[in-house]
Amino acid sequence: MSFFDIFKKKKSKDVAKDRLMMMLAYERASTKIDNLEEMKKELIGVVKKYLKVKDIEIKSSSNQDIETLEVEIILEK
Amino acid sequence: MAEVITVTSGKGGVGKSTTTANIATALAMLGKKTVAVDFDIGLRNLDMILGLENRIVYDVVDVMENRCNLAQAVIKDKRTANLHFLPASQTKDKTVLDKEKVEKLINDLKKEFDYILIDSPAGIESGFEHAIYLADRALIVTTPEISSVRDADRVIGIIDAKSKKAALGEEVQKHIIINRIKPELVEKGEMLSTEDVLHILALPLIGIVPDDEEIVKSTNLGEPIVLNEKSLVGEAFRRIARRINGEEVEFLDLKSKKGFFKKLKGLFT
Repeated sequence: MSFFDIFKKKKSKDVAKDRLMMMLAYERASTKIDNLEEMKKELIGVVKKYLKVKDIEIKSSSNQDIETLEVEIILEK
Repeated sequence: MAEVITVTSGKGGVGKSTTTANIATALAMLGKKTVAVDFDIGLRNLDMILGLENRIVYDVVDVMENRCNLAQAVIKDKRTANLHFLPASQTKDKTVLDKEKVEKLINDLKKEFDYILIDSPAGIESGFEHAIYLADRALIVTTPEISSVRDADRVIGIIDAKSKKAALGEEVQKHIIINRIKPELVEKGEMLSTEDVLHILALPLIGIVPDDEEIVKSTNLGEPIVLNEKSLVGEAFRRIARRINGEEVEFLDLKSKKGFFKKLKGLFT
């Protein structure tokens, strides 16, 4: 690498790595839950007892140390 | 104690069969009685890479269906002592494999051999499940490309779920083989490096294999490249075999083969 490369844009392999890490963080979490749809239905069932639910969205993400599951409950107005 | 090693990948065409053929040959060269089993039902090709396609009489499905016994189906390589091969069936029906029959076959092979190398089909369908079910160790082959690494990650994620060993609470060893590395591109920052791939897949490395056109020739001839003492790719596979066999071996130092003048030119550009 010569001196002027410092001012050049990101190396393509760094772009590749970033894209991969983003994609895998999403995919790893979604393969963990086998029956996501079933879980959704049950969750809706439980919440419905107390609230008027329109839909439930489940997002998951993970990085090296921690995995999270984000459950968004959309209520009827 | 026999060890069952499944060579797998998420994406097809990353060099699984070539890897299986070469590691099996190298293990045999170490004096270990080894059998390479092609589990890619319907799409056999390990036979041609090993140069044994003309000697096939029976295949893996014939054994499982009791149309012949194991000794009749296993082909003994005449060039490499200790190397044996069990071909895949050409049947179009991919569902012919059945868990109990696969288990019986592998257990029978375990009585005869030190190492059983299974060439798994690509992807995560039923063929893969059978190939991984009884594995003691999985070798995941990937190239340093995003699609290959991504699919490798998916496969790694389901190995434990499909493994008998994992179901019994034991560990299936998982190791990464990075195939077709182009050192020049890595040095330029235009190909994922070994470190990048390992950082993403978070599993131990068991081999790095440089990209080499010699592989094409060796496949054309049906002679695994490990038989060529001078080949760097051959050395890469021989080292993998030694690591499998419990030896600690350094990884190859892959550097681009730039000539002196090119290096000099590189200083001024």
